[in-house]
Amino acid sequence: MKTLADLKKIREKAQEEMKLRNSQVRIKIVVGMGTSGIAMGAREVMKTFLEEISQRNLTDVLVTQTGEKGLSSMEPVVDVIEEGKPTVTYGNMTPEKVRKVVVEHIVNGRIVSDYVVATGK
Amino acid sequence: MQDISLHLLDIIENSVRAGAKHIRIRIINDAQENVLRFIIEDDGCGMDAETLALAQDPFYSSKEERVKKVGLGIPLFKQNAELSNGSFTITSEPGLGTVLTAEFERDNIDRLPMGNLKDTLLGAILGHQDVDFHLSLIYRDQDKEQSFHFNTEFIKEELGGIPLTYPDVIEYIEQSLNEGIQNTNMEDV
Repeated sequence: MKTLADLKKIREKAQEEMKLRNSQVRIKIVVGMGTSGIAMGAREVMKTFLEEISQRNLTDVLVTQTGEKGLSSMEPVVDVIEEGKPTVTYGNMTPEKVRKVVVEHIVNGRIVSDYVVATGK
Repeated sequence: MQDISLHLLDIIENSVRAGAKHIRIRIINDAQENVLRFIIEDDGCGMDAETLALAQDPFYSSKEERVKKVGLGIPLFKQNAELSNGSFTITSEPGLGTVLTAEFERDNIDRLPMGNLKDTLLGAILGHQDVDFHLSLIYRDQDKEQSFHFNTEFIKEELGGIPLTYPDVIEYIEQSLNEGIQNTNMEDV
């Protein structure tokens, strides 16, 4: 059973860690979760990001969901947003590709150009 | 969509896009009544009668910026509910919100499986941290009832600003949902 005490422990641990860092969120990942994205496996893509964050203990990464953006033929689509850098959009994502993007891009800062479908401001 | 939990995810995204701040999801797995019932209630912008009728039309979409005016989410969910001898209703009031109810005949051969309910809920809750989710899962059989209630408002309050995508919190929410889904027999239904 998960209890309130568990949440309190997490809160204390997280607050301790955040004191050591200035910014809370270094990188934001946005998974397109429109009807066509869902039909093409966006939920599994979202789940894999969450799994990787949890397993690698990435405390400065935020993952969110958004609606369709008109890239239906490239779904599932994922945006990686980092302050001061152009937004990178990855397309035709799968759980395997997500794992690669996490290791290469999120952890080591190297864009996986093979999966990129667009870059923006 | 291959299963009902994917439809549910799609409907939750509609509520979020309608500006909902609170989404209440009730799933009732009633073995005695032979029904699987989904009630999704939001406090988003709602729809007038005309838009509501259009929402069930596959060639309508509220997304004005789109070139392709197709919206298959609601029509497909409706079709799948009706195929299993179930029902599908939406009621809405502009400015107040929307309530969607989908019923499936539980033992109907054409009923879609539940699918991965946990991943749908986990993704929706963590992917929309500014929306509060009230979740109730209820299982009923002859003389017993098991229920699971989960309220993210309460969790966020306890966490005091720690994001829900903090690794330990992901694990906490995932395990809680897992327990609830298992206790209400929604895993392989």
